[in-house]
Amino acid sequence: MASLSEEVLLVVKKVRQKKQDGTLYLMAERIAWGPEGKDRFTVSHSYSDIRCQKISPDGKAKVQLQLVLHTGESTTFHFANESTSRKDWEAAKELLQQLLPKFKKKANKELEEKNKMLQEDPVLFQLYKDLVVSQVISAEEFWANRLGGINNGESAACENKQEVGISGAFLADIRPQTDGCNGLRYNLTADIIESIFRTYPAVKQKYKENVPHNLTEKEFWTRFFQSHYFHRDRISTGTQDIFSECARQDEKGLKSLVTQGVKNPMVDLLSLEDKTLDEGYGISSALPSTSHASRTVKESSNFAIIKRFNHHSAMVLAAGSRKRDVPADQASETSSTDGNSRDSDFFQPPLKKVKLQEAIEYEDLQQENRPKTVALNLKKSDRYAHGPVPLQSQQYTTSQDIINSVNYIKHEMSNYKPNLTQVLSSAAASSAIAALSPGGVLMQQVAQQAINQMVPTEIQAELKHLYVAAGELLRHFWTCFPVNTAFLEEKLTGHLECMLQAAYSKFHIWQTRRMMRKT
Amino acid sequence: MASEGEISLLVVVVDVNPIWWGQHAQSEPEFTLSKCLDAVMVMGNAHMAMTRTNQLAVIAAHCQDSHFLYPSKRLKGNDDTSSSRDGKYELLSVTNNLIAEEIRDIMSKTELTGNSTDTLLAGSLAKALCYINRISKEVGVAQEIKSRILVIKAADDCALQYMNFMNVIFAAQKQNILIDACVLDSDSGLLQQACDITGGLYLKIPQKVALAQYLLWVFLPDSEQRSLLVLPPPAHVDYRAACFCHRTLIEIGYVCSVCLSIFCNFSPICTTCETAFKIQLPQMVKPKKKKPKLPA
Repeated sequence: MASLSEEVLLVVKKVRQKKQDGTLYLMAERIAWGPEGKDRFTVSHSYSDIRCQKISPDGKAKVQLQLVLHTGESTTFHFANESTSRKDWEAAKELLQQLLPKFKKKANKELEEKNKMLQEDPVLFQLYKDLVVSQVISAEEFWANRLGGINNGESAACENKQEVGISGAFLADIRPQTDGCNGLRYNLTADIIESIFRTYPAVKQKYKENVPHNLTEKEFWTRFFQSHYFHRDRISTGTQDIFSECARQDEKGLKSLVTQGVKNPMVDLLSLEDKTLDEGYGISSALPSTSHASRTVKESSNFAIIKRFNHHSAMVLAAGSRKRDVPADQASETSSTDGNSRDSDFFQPPLKKVKLQEAIEYEDLQQENRPKTVALNLKKSDRYAHGPVPLQSQQYTTSQDIINSVNYIKHEMSNYKPNLTQVLSSAAASSAIAALSPGGVLMQQVAQQAINQMVPTEIQAELKHLYVAAGELLRHFWTCFPVNTAFLEEKLTGHLECMLQAAYSKFHIWQTRRMMRKT
Repeated sequence: MASEGEISLLVVVVDVNPIWWGQHAQSEPEFTLSKCLDAVMVMGNAHMAMTRTNQLAVIAAHCQDSHFLYPSKRLKGNDDTSSSRDGKYELLSVTNNLIAEEIRDIMSKTELTGNSTDTLLAGSLAKALCYINRISKEVGVAQEIKSRILVIKAADDCALQYMNFMNVIFAAQKQNILIDACVLDSDSGLLQQACDITGGLYLKIPQKVALAQYLLWVFLPDSEQRSLLVLPPPAHVDYRAACFCHRTLIEIGYVCSVCLSIFCNFSPICTTCETAFKIQLPQMVKPKKKKPKLPA
């Protein structure tokens, strides 16, 4: 115990455990309690063993803290200091709350992995039941070889996780509910707040500036929803609203986005303009003016909505393509796609070139750059075409024989007339049937039935489990070789012997049980 | 029974090697090519009579070529020969007459070129596969068609057709076409392999006279019905490879990793692709030379 370098995080005096007075020590990796006056710790639990802590409710006279371990047992500490019990107790509780989650993850992860593996693979599960539960192999040996690959695989999986994007409708999801008396309730979840911050970095900035110094979170969000920034018709009337600056920033952003245009030289957005033949049937060349004054009220409000939609979509897309863990540096965060950057022009020429190249060239028409291979040079390739020489001796015929045979058959077939009523005599037929019936000449092997049809399926399944378990034991046996360490030697001679004995007795029991059942 | 509208196509490939048949006809006069063809006809009739949608094709494998006995080109010709006098099902009598005409024709045109005396079995099987393919395309995609090939073999295997034979077998396997074999004389390794690979039945008949009985009992049912019947069990097939140097069947051999040719003995250079091989010999530990102690 003394060898562990422990920094003591908290010491609480006058803590009773099991009716004994003593002191509670919270260290970096464990919690320990020693009785008063003594130097050693009688109770010591490392944080990874603790499953959870339980606290006595606020109103009770006795201030108690209970630690529940993974194994199920629990230890109770009673804070008996008259004056400072509550404070001590709170301090201890908070510290534990902070420390436990850190250690919890490590222990649980392994356990979870094991459980997952057992659930996914029924064969493994059966093996576990057969060997570990019936005490043939210890659990550590069982998991010794299996868990090695887990830790490596996990980290790789984490790296490939896809980033979650932002839903475009997140603002619409905050559906206000009427509160009954002229109020509106907005439900904000952490996800929505995060989406708002990611999409509108200006709002995030404001949040950082004002909360928690000037406003509480609740007030901030209330103002947010009340401000015209949030609502449909944004009338930037210069009110004392913290969000009016956001609105101005958004306008600026949108303007610069428009002037930036699209970088793809293949896309010509200007040709998509609406060209209507209004009064004058095309002769009138007055362009629709974009100044505010000449428009009707309705037009201007439509214009405002559309402008807001476009801006919102642009911001959502920009936020989605920004990397997640870029540090909150405002200057660099506002990348070229949301209209506030200064170095957007940097990207223009190379991108255009790339796009043009893509359009002109086809990848698969170009020369392939495959690695150089050596050609296969076969000298006697007809060897492959020749099959094995038949084992029977060749019958050699003289050419005279051949000529005779051919003439004979020609003669025979020239008078061929099918005589289908005289094809089979009954004697021949019955001897053929006899040969084909079970027990006949041709049917000698049918009597050998497949074993798996004769043995019932449960016995087959049980036998399979035993076989797999025996295979596992064999694997342990073979991993002991080469015998390098003393541990392996001991395992081989002592431990394995017991395992094999236990396995054999298990098999024997099963066998006798089965045989009893039969008879 | 086959499901509604399912077409079952049976292609019979008969080995009509005139040399073999001529020789055996002289030694065993009670079983001749005529009898064999009669038996085949009986089976073909039985197959067609079972269901309206069953179809039949018969190919004669000769040593010069392979010929379709049924359906033949004569089918489209004149129909005056087709009227049967004994009230038989019209289709059956037409079939029988056509087969008889065609075989007479083939046999009369037999000419000896002197080169080959072997039956062109691989070619006939290939023709059968092509015919099956054509029929399946004609029938259309919606209609299910199940086909199988029955080979009635008389003469011996020809080693030269090995490659073609194996190609045919694998093509049939891909198309789910069974190849059955009814062997009259001597066992054929190639046909055993064909039956094993495609899932058909191989049978060497003890009595040639009862050929019709064997055909009807064993080879008439199709694959679905065969699973319900007790039929002769499959024979053990010899799948050993032949070494490239002596053409003998070997169980353990050496394979060149470059060209995959098989040898029975190790040689440092593969004779097919001329790659040099090195085998690592176990390391020799040189004994330490001990200096003789000089006498003090």
